[in-house]
Amino acid sequence: MKGYFMEPQNMSVNDGNGIRTLIFMAGCPLRCQWCSNPESQGSPANSRGRGSLVREYWLDEIMEIIERQRIFYRFSGGGVTFSGGEATMQLEILDEMSMLLYDKAIDMAIETCGYFDFQAVKRVMDRMSLIFIDLKLFNGQAHRKFTGMDNALILENIRKFGEMDYQIVIRIPLIEGVNTDQENISHTADFISKHIKKPKVELLPYHSFGDEKYRDLQLELPSREFKAPDKSSINEIRKIFKSKGIEVVKY
Amino acid sequence: MTTFRNEKARLNYIESKPSISYERARIWTESHMMTEGESVPIRRAKAFRDTCRKLDVHIFEGELIVGAVGEFRKCGILTPEFSWTWVDREMDNFSSRRQDPYEMTDEQREFVRKEIFPYWRGKSLEEAFLARLPEETANVAVDTGIIDNDSKWRQAVGEITPDYQDVLFKKGFGGIIREAREKLEGLNPSNSVDLERIEFYNSIIITSQGIIELAGRYADMASEIARSEQDGVRREELLEIERICRRIPEFPPETFHEAIQFVWFTQLGGILSENPLALNIGRFDQFMYPYYVSDKSKGLADEKIQELIEALWIKLSEWVWTISANTAGFFAGYNQFQNLTLGGKTREGRDATNELSLMCLKATDSVRTHQPGLSVRIQQDCPDEFMEAVTELVSKGTGFPAIHSDNAGYQMLLNAGYEPEDARDWNNCGCVVPHFRKTGEWTSAVNINFTAALEFALNRGISRVHGRRMGITEQSPEEYKSYKEVEDAFYREFDKLIEHSVIATLTAQRLHREMVPRPFLSSCMEDCIEDGVDLVNGGAKYNIGPVLTGIGLAVTSNSLAAIKKLVFEDKETTMEELSRAIAANWEGYEELRELALNVPKYGNDIEYVDEIAVRMANHYYRIGHGYRDINGNPFNTAFMGISNYLPTGKVIGATPCGRKSGEPLSEGVSPFAGTDRSTPLAAMRSAAKLNQDIHSGGTLLNLRLNQSLVDTKRGRSNLGAMIQSFFSLGAFHVQFNTISTEVLRRAQEEPGKYKDLLVRVAGYSTQFVNLSREMQDAIIARTAHEGF
Repeated sequence: MKGYFMEPQNMSVNDGNGIRTLIFMAGCPLRCQWCSNPESQGSPANSRGRGSLVREYWLDEIMEIIERQRIFYRFSGGGVTFSGGEATMQLEILDEMSMLLYDKAIDMAIETCGYFDFQAVKRVMDRMSLIFIDLKLFNGQAHRKFTGMDNALILENIRKFGEMDYQIVIRIPLIEGVNTDQENISHTADFISKHIKKPKVELLPYHSFGDEKYRDLQLELPSREFKAPDKSSINEIRKIFKSKGIEVVKY
Repeated sequence: MTTFRNEKARLNYIESKPSISYERARIWTESHMMTEGESVPIRRAKAFRDTCRKLDVHIFEGELIVGAVGEFRKCGILTPEFSWTWVDREMDNFSSRRQDPYEMTDEQREFVRKEIFPYWRGKSLEEAFLARLPEETANVAVDTGIIDNDSKWRQAVGEITPDYQDVLFKKGFGGIIREAREKLEGLNPSNSVDLERIEFYNSIIITSQGIIELAGRYADMASEIARSEQDGVRREELLEIERICRRIPEFPPETFHEAIQFVWFTQLGGILSENPLALNIGRFDQFMYPYYVSDKSKGLADEKIQELIEALWIKLSEWVWTISANTAGFFAGYNQFQNLTLGGKTREGRDATNELSLMCLKATDSVRTHQPGLSVRIQQDCPDEFMEAVTELVSKGTGFPAIHSDNAGYQMLLNAGYEPEDARDWNNCGCVVPHFRKTGEWTSAVNINFTAALEFALNRGISRVHGRRMGITEQSPEEYKSYKEVEDAFYREFDKLIEHSVIATLTAQRLHREMVPRPFLSSCMEDCIEDGVDLVNGGAKYNIGPVLTGIGLAVTSNSLAAIKKLVFEDKETTMEELSRAIAANWEGYEELRELALNVPKYGNDIEYVDEIAVRMANHYYRIGHGYRDINGNPFNTAFMGISNYLPTGKVIGATPCGRKSGEPLSEGVSPFAGTDRSTPLAAMRSAAKLNQDIHSGGTLLNLRLNQSLVDTKRGRSNLGAMIQSFFSLGAFHVQFNTISTEVLRRAQEEPGKYKDLLVRVAGYSTQFVNLSREMQDAIIARTAHEGF
């Protein structure tokens, strides 16, 4: 079995517990204007980085990379985190891979944009010990403007995760002028605290580390209007979440 | 932050350049003039006692632990009985030499040239060694950077851990004298074996008297200063020092302060007796613990204990190991290699960490001295509190502590023939050599330049930099028709270098036995006293074969991989063209060099090249371990660091891996600087493939981590897990530098502002600004892993 991947990254410590391997899967239904992995945008087989930053890997190749790192998971409580792109776009290989890892009792987490068919991916999600799900903008129209897609499905999926008590962390990229206004933050916070029992969010201030890839792919750089908010605004945002009983976590 | 007095001493330590004192050499020489004709051990013992009687005593401002090697607070001494010629040759440039400069005045130089050196002409260890070393070996082994053992004939051996547990703290030197006298009563001078024993016991009685008398003189001095001391608090301290020095080291210590003063007097005795490398403290948190517990129960505050520990750290850093420019190239940074080991397991296999272990880690953080060489033993169930303290010290960027696998150390000692209880009780010697205190050994006997063997194989036996024949290969490189032929030629040269190393070591060992017996240090060893045999004659409980240290494992493996791939597999080039490129130092062959640089490099968990390194390491063990030293013990192998990868690199031309002429080689089992481009995890996996436990002389992996990886507690927990993972793969040692390149560059530009910046050199840490520019550059060149 084969799939489309970017180069896996070993020794990651920010996407779950312990020392982890990040498996970046190509293809994404969204096209966020600030995306730091633009090579993954598009369909898995025809992503923007196809032929340069994205290539086909055999399932065995990916498993071998993970196997070599296993000793480091063992002592740190780490494991594998599926990321992307949007990992669920290559559901068949994700299903197979996560089943193999599940049988080896390797800890798994996933980072998803939330845009997927819940019923179809449920069995994959059941194998995850932690799910990071993005909620970039609460307002549907704004969401469509900046990401190319409506967010109704994403909100619906978050609700379902909440109902069924999955271990989730809502991730919010903080981009000044896009989603850091009080209205967006309050609505987001209200939504989260309403639908999730022990709600957790992680705030990820925007960074421009992806610029290099835009150059490599000869794509237009993200707007220079995108900026990380300053420390005091981040603190304000954190306060809003806390005031609604939401834990702000950091991985 | 340490106490005010320690801070003052610390500032003096970082601000001042060490000065040379010839006092010890003068007294030693005058003593020898008076004892002509007596036996060597007695002459050396008497010279030691005379030094203890006549050396001026100095109690420096605010000191709690007293005893000075000379008249300067930061001071090195001379030992002309080992070698005076290098001092004579080099001392005019002492203050301007690049690595480890010293201060010495013209008057001092004139005095030693007139009054000291003439006596030793023809009598020093160095001269005897050079006279006896076979010419063929001398061609490769004297100041060449190919085979180097000059620290064993221009210097004393050191490399020993005094036995506080079973000898010193139990008996005191007074007890040692009594025991020696009792032994003497049972010996018969008409029996030749007994005669040697009689001589030995007499020699240790003399040295023990010496160290007791020296302490007595410190008591007198403390009392004298106390009389005129205006400050009441200080006066009380001086009176306490007087009291302590009247008891210590004649009697066993009863308080923590007495015990720590005892430790320093033992160091002082060792230093005055031979200016040793690696006179280790050993398991300080174990043998000091009873005194800590007892003092605490009597109400002594932790702050007082902490202050004493920090005062010892400063004391250990103030004396300087005086060494030649050549030796300083191999052991850069004024390092004395006084290793102090914390944590691990007890002899019974229980967790050994205690409050003192944590206080010692804290002491290094607060005084930031380059001594002691702080090492920790980490077992798989190491308590969180200890691991957290260790990773926290790592995060401070001092390069300390050196982190060792408790189990790998145990295995290495078992393999070397130790009883399990003794193997469990190991401490480090020097930088990364697992060692047990009841042992006589040469833990850094010879440095062997692996890459030289490859150069000789590829250049008809001729050294490119020295420009003369040093190898045995006759054929030209283009005659090699397969990779196997290249490798075979390499291994022939390699085996020859090991043979030369063994010859140089045996020559030195025989001379040590003849010329430089070690009564003072022998008296610190239980079995020497029991059997009446000096350390040089194998008096210790364990006599372990000398350690051959391999340098350039990564460069050599990378180079063989490049030849294999580019010449024989991909046929990108020929042996002929590659040889021309190397001879031209890659100039005009930039494209070929690019190809060479892109061949897989050791340190990235790539089997293609790691396999070559593993075979080389196994071969090294098999051949090295096959030789026997003068006591009949097998030689041991090691991949330690020290700073030897610099001088050994200078004498090697360009190499097939893409390295340019004169650039540093690689240290220990570390990757070549800048070529471990994956993650530290990959570097660890590569290093762990090397069957580290067979290399009983120790292995060393240095990694640079980005500071941000260890900024948070969570990050440090992950670092702890990473270390445990590495050890579970069978590895022995890892040590981290976490200072950013930016800070290191700033320190190069403005050294004055970064005088206390400690960095990891290799197997030890030292002040960055005390390193030569090239050494600094080599450290910056190490790949900083940004990962996490």
